[in-house]
Amino acid sequence: MRLDGSPPGPTREQAISSGTTARVDPVRVEIRGLTKSFGSVRAVSDLGFTVEPGTVTGFLGPNGAGKTTTLRMVLGLMKPDAGAATFDGVPYPSLSRPLRTVGAVLETAFHPARSGRNHLRVYCRAAGLPLQRADEVLAQVGLADAGHRRAGGYSLGMRQRLGLATALLGDPAVLVLDEPANGLDPEGIQWLRGFLRHLAHEQGRTVLVSSHLLSEVEQTVDRVVIVGAGQLVREGSMEQLRSGADGAGTVLVRSPEAARLAEALRADGTGVSLDGDALTVSGRTTAEIGARAYAAGVELHELRSQTSGLEEIYFQLTAGRGQFAAPPTGPAAEETTR
Amino acid sequence: MMRLVRAEWTKLFTTRVWIGLLVGAVALAVLSTVLLTAFAGDTEGVGIPPVGSPAFEQLALAGPANSVVLMLVLGVIGMTQEYRHRTATPTFLTTPHRGQVVIAKLVAYALVAVPFAVVVTAVNYAVLAVYAGSRGAVPALTGDNSRVVLTSALALVIYTVIGVGLGALVRNQIGAIVGALVYLFVIEALIRQFVGTAYKWLPGGGLEALTATFQGPDVLEAWQGGVLLLGYGLVAAVLGTFLAVRRDIV
Repeated sequence: MRLDGSPPGPTREQAISSGTTARVDPVRVEIRGLTKSFGSVRAVSDLGFTVEPGTVTGFLGPNGAGKTTTLRMVLGLMKPDAGAATFDGVPYPSLSRPLRTVGAVLETAFHPARSGRNHLRVYCRAAGLPLQRADEVLAQVGLADAGHRRAGGYSLGMRQRLGLATALLGDPAVLVLDEPANGLDPEGIQWLRGFLRHLAHEQGRTVLVSSHLLSEVEQTVDRVVIVGAGQLVREGSMEQLRSGADGAGTVLVRSPEAARLAEALRADGTGVSLDGDALTVSGRTTAEIGARAYAAGVELHELRSQTSGLEEIYFQLTAGRGQFAAPPTGPAAEETTR
Repeated sequence: MMRLVRAEWTKLFTTRVWIGLLVGAVALAVLSTVLLTAFAGDTEGVGIPPVGSPAFEQLALAGPANSVVLMLVLGVIGMTQEYRHRTATPTFLTTPHRGQVVIAKLVAYALVAVPFAVVVTAVNYAVLAVYAGSRGAVPALTGDNSRVVLTSALALVIYTVIGVGLGALVRNQIGAIVGALVYLFVIEALIRQFVGTAYKWLPGGGLEALTATFQGPDVLEAWQGGVLLLGYGLVAAVLGTFLAVRRDIV
């Protein structure tokens, strides 16, 4: 056993290849108008978004932005003051077999004196699943060797894996994971990344994964939902966020015929600033600009997204919207409001 | 419902808490019986009736009733560990209708308490038979004696149920256990001393009535005591269920 508690390589490969390749029936998660206050503090405010099957959706925001509260409302653990979350139209508490529809990891929750395997068996019994599912999911997350040990002795990474195993028990169509990368070593994060993408892309599951760090999920997620101070800040594909297609970034273009390209782009109503052979274009992806240049027969020497600092966009979007920030008033906040 | 009950049994028997509590319950019952037998007939001091008298036998056979506190703790832990170790989250994710979880716990713990009560009662009787036998007379399990044995065992079961209900109400494990101990050993003792008329309506009064022996203040009939105790258990359980369903799980 390695120090970090991670299993040797072959088990991981097995985990991914031996998982059922059959695709699950897709389930769409719809969240509308969720609102929740704790006393005078409004934790979540009229939040709405959808999570599509077959994609990994990142649910991002600074600490205290209302991510966990939102997930707890989605899963029926907290009652929203207003709004609702549904799984193919059905709220969580009304699902006939919840574990078979939704698997969730909210925090590492287990009795420290109980073995990982027995922990899983408890929920097999309660959900009416065969007991061997416990061993199957342990193998799937690479914990087969540690299953008989007290869960209290697990490393942080192993605890996260046990949580994930619990979520997988019912072979659910939807996975909801709250900060699953916390406590994982780089190798573990790599593994989780591949695992989640496999579950979504190969098996058609709906995966919603929260994080306060964009960099942590950047390579995993297809779509992002960014929240700040309990409100939706941005929702869209990673590509949209990366290209800054809706105003958060620009694209740098160098061309010997810069002026002609600027003309062509302006004709489409695109914002362009010209400086010698360099163009700074806003509101268009690199792909769109490349296509336009190709169509206009313009030679390009450089085509580069200026928003490679994805973390920077994320920071701009969420600055001042965490738990420890001042209330979002004043010009700085105005700028980040959609 | 049965699979939820079995899930509760899996939870209980995959940690070792139950062993400690069962051993403790046996020890407490046996200790009280041994002391009682040792000082039996010592009419000058504490005034315990002599071995062989009906009063002595019923007191000694009610020894298991001294262990109700540990069965209460068993029930409290059964409920509150979900909050203490945060397993309430996976538990209520698996069974979103939380009332069913509380009911399953009540049923599971009531059923588990039966063999526990049998063990405590049997060991207590075995010790009593040997010790009292060596001092003159083995208590017979007939008439009033058998009734005391049964009602003491029943008290253990009912207190377990009360514990589950209390745990659902209070949720904080340490708070619930300490609160219960303070209540049973301090507050109720004071009430018994100074407000005798109120005491008979309290859990302790109910217990005393149920396992009625010859001493004690004004208490209810045995069956009334049993009903009263069961009532406390059910009220705690209903309130606890109601709150568990309404409260947010954080």
